[in-house]
Amino acid sequence: MPDSLLDVQGLETTFKTPEGVVHAVNGVSFGLKEGETLGVVGESGCGKSVTMLSILGLIASPPGKVEAGKADFFGQDLLKMSKDEIRAVRGAQIGMVFQDPMTSLNPVLTVGRQLQEPLMLHLGMTKKQAEERAAQLLEMVGIPNAADRLEDYPHQFSGGMRQRVMIAIALSCSPQVLIADEPTTALDVTIQAQIMDLVKRLRTELGMAIIWITHDLGVVAGLAQRVIVMYGGFIIEEAQVDELFANPSHPYTIGLIGSLPRVDQTEHNKLYSIEGLPPMLFEKPTHCPFAPRCKWALEHCWKENPMLESVGPEHRAACWVDTKTGRHR
Amino acid sequence: MSSNNNHKDILMRVDNLVKHFPIMKGFFQKQVGAVRAVDGVSFDVRRGETLGLVGESGCGKSTTGRTILQLYRPTSGDVQFDGVNLVTLKGEDLRMMRRKMQMIFQDPYASLNPRMTVGEIIREPLMVHQVATEAEGNERVKQLLELVKLNPSFTSRYPHEFSGGQRQRIGIARALALQPSFIVCDEPISALDVSIQAQVVNLLEELQEQFNLTYLFIAHDLSMVRHISDRVAVMYLGVVVELATRDELYNHPLHPYTQALLSAVPVPDPVIESTRKRTILVGDVPSPANPPSGCRFRTRCPIAEAVCAESRPEFREIKPGHFVACFFAERFLHAVSPVQV
Repeated sequence: MPDSLLDVQGLETTFKTPEGVVHAVNGVSFGLKEGETLGVVGESGCGKSVTMLSILGLIASPPGKVEAGKADFFGQDLLKMSKDEIRAVRGAQIGMVFQDPMTSLNPVLTVGRQLQEPLMLHLGMTKKQAEERAAQLLEMVGIPNAADRLEDYPHQFSGGMRQRVMIAIALSCSPQVLIADEPTTALDVTIQAQIMDLVKRLRTELGMAIIWITHDLGVVAGLAQRVIVMYGGFIIEEAQVDELFANPSHPYTIGLIGSLPRVDQTEHNKLYSIEGLPPMLFEKPTHCPFAPRCKWALEHCWKENPMLESVGPEHRAACWVDTKTGRHR
Repeated sequence: MSSNNNHKDILMRVDNLVKHFPIMKGFFQKQVGAVRAVDGVSFDVRRGETLGLVGESGCGKSTTGRTILQLYRPTSGDVQFDGVNLVTLKGEDLRMMRRKMQMIFQDPYASLNPRMTVGEIIREPLMVHQVATEAEGNERVKQLLELVKLNPSFTSRYPHEFSGGQRQRIGIARALALQPSFIVCDEPISALDVSIQAQVVNLLEELQEQFNLTYLFIAHDLSMVRHISDRVAVMYLGVVVELATRDELYNHPLHPYTQALLSAVPVPDPVIESTRKRTILVGDVPSPANPPSGCRFRTRCPIAEAVCAESRPEFREIKPGHFVACFFAERFLHAVSPVQV
C-alpha cells in the first residue's frame, strides 16, 4: 500500500432492522492514491454511502455495525480509532460534503460561525484569525461579497451557494482527502456545472484526493480518473475512467451505460433496460448478487460469488462470464 | 401558432397562459404581490406526439402542466382541448372532460394513498366517473395491471409492498383507467434509479404506441427528454424561451439559455467530456415574485444588451417550426451546438 493515501480492506457493515439484518457492505476493498479523483458509482442501496460513512466512523451504532475490515490512513486504522481520535481526523485531514446542503448546515448558526468552528477546533486559530480565513474561504468557492456574507444564515443562501459553503467548510483545514457524497444530485444542471467547475479548479489548486460518490455516470465521466462500480454491497468493477466506458466488463456496468439516454444522441432506439429489482440484502449472497437480473448468467453464477479479477490493464471485474463470448471466463 | 399546422392535428392549444399565486401579508391577508409562476405561455400539442417541457426547478413547468389540466385555474389565457376551451368549463362539464386528460406524478410514494389497496387505487377513477360496476371494475383493474407489466394478482396489496418503479407503474395504470387521450407526465422518472428509469420510459413509449396517447412530458433531465420527445419546449422563469422539434432544438439551439443548459448536461463518455466546452452561467435563477424587466434571462445571459432590459423579446418563429424568444437569435443560426459531436 505504499502509494495509497487511503487503503480499505475487507470492509463489512450491517444494520439491524425489525425485518432482519441488512448486509449493506459485504467485503469492500479499494485504495485511493494521492491527488486522485475516485468516482464511486451505484444505485440507491448499493452500499456506496455506507462504505464511506463506515470509514469515517459515522455509522450510528446501533443499529449499524462495522463487522470487519480495516481502513489504513497514514499508518493508522481509521476503524480502530476512538471517537475522539477519529473526530480529530474528520474535518481536518478528511473533509466531507453531503447531498443535501440544507440539512447539513445548522440553520440557527451563521455561515461564518460554521466556517470558523473547524478552524478554531482543528487548527487552533484565534477567533480573529478564523474570521479572516473564513472570508478567504468563501471567496475561494466563488461567493460574491464574501466578507459581508459571513453574518448571514444558511436560509439566506440558494441551494448552489449552500453547497459552495459546504465545500468551503470541508476544505477549511486543507484536508488530504475530500469525500463528496452526491454533492450535486439535489442541484439544477446549470448549478451542477458551476459546482463541478469549482471542484476541478480547487483540485488543481489544492491537490487533494477526492472520493466522489454519485449515481450519475455523466458526472463521473467528466470528473473522475478512476471509477469503482458497486452493486448489492460489493465492488463489481473497477478501472480507469476511459477504460471503464470503452470496455465495460460486468453485465451490470454494461447495462447501466446502455440504459442511459444521451444528450448528444441522434438515434432513438428503445432504451436498454435491466429487468428486475436490486437485491434486498437480508442475507449475504452465496451467489453472484447480480445473477437474478443478468441475461448472461450461467449455472455457475448461482453457485459461487465471483471475486474481482483482472480483465484488462488496471481493470478488474467480479463476473464469471466473459461477456464478449458469453462463456465462462 | 404556426399557420401551416393542420388544425385537426392539434389536440391541445395553450394560448398566453398565465398563473400567478398571490402573496398575502398581515392580519387582513392583503395581497402584496404575486409569484408569477407561469407568465404568458403559448404552445400546441399535436395528437399522438410527446411534447417535452424542460427547465430548472422553479421555472414553472409543473405549474404549466397542472394549469393546463385545470388543477389550478389560470389567472388568464386559454386552453383549448379538442376544440373545447377548458378555462370556461365548470362543474360537471369539466369533470366529463377530465376523463380524457390524466396525470402521472413525480413522487410514487406520495401520489398513492397508503391506506388503499392497489385494486382500489386503480378502480377509483372508474367508480368516480361511474363508467363501470364493481365487478367490471375489478376485471378492468386486472387488465390494467397486466398492461403495465405487474402481476394481476397484486390487487389486494398495499403500496408500501412495492418498489418505486412498481409504484410508478401503479400510477400509470390509474392514469390509463379511463382511457384518456392526453396524459401530463410530471417528472415521472426523476425519483427512480437509473436502471429502473429505462424500464418505465420504455413502458410509456409502448403504451403511447398501443393507445395513440399524447404526452406532455415534464422533466429536467435533458438527455431523457431528447430520447422520449418529438418536440421540446424550454422554460425559464415562467416563460417558454424556445420550442422546436427534438433534433432541431438539440442540434441548433438558438436561445442562449438553451445553449447553456445543453452545455451543462454531462455526457457519459470521458473522451467527449474532456474536450467539451462549457458555458457556465453565473448566479442563480431570480425570484419569480420579482422577475427582471424585459427578457427574463438577461441577468444571467452572456450576450445581454441594453435593449434586453427595456422590452420583452417576442416568441417568434425564426425557422419553420422553430420558435425562440431572443432579440439576437439570428447570431446563432450557424453556430455549433454544445452537444454536437
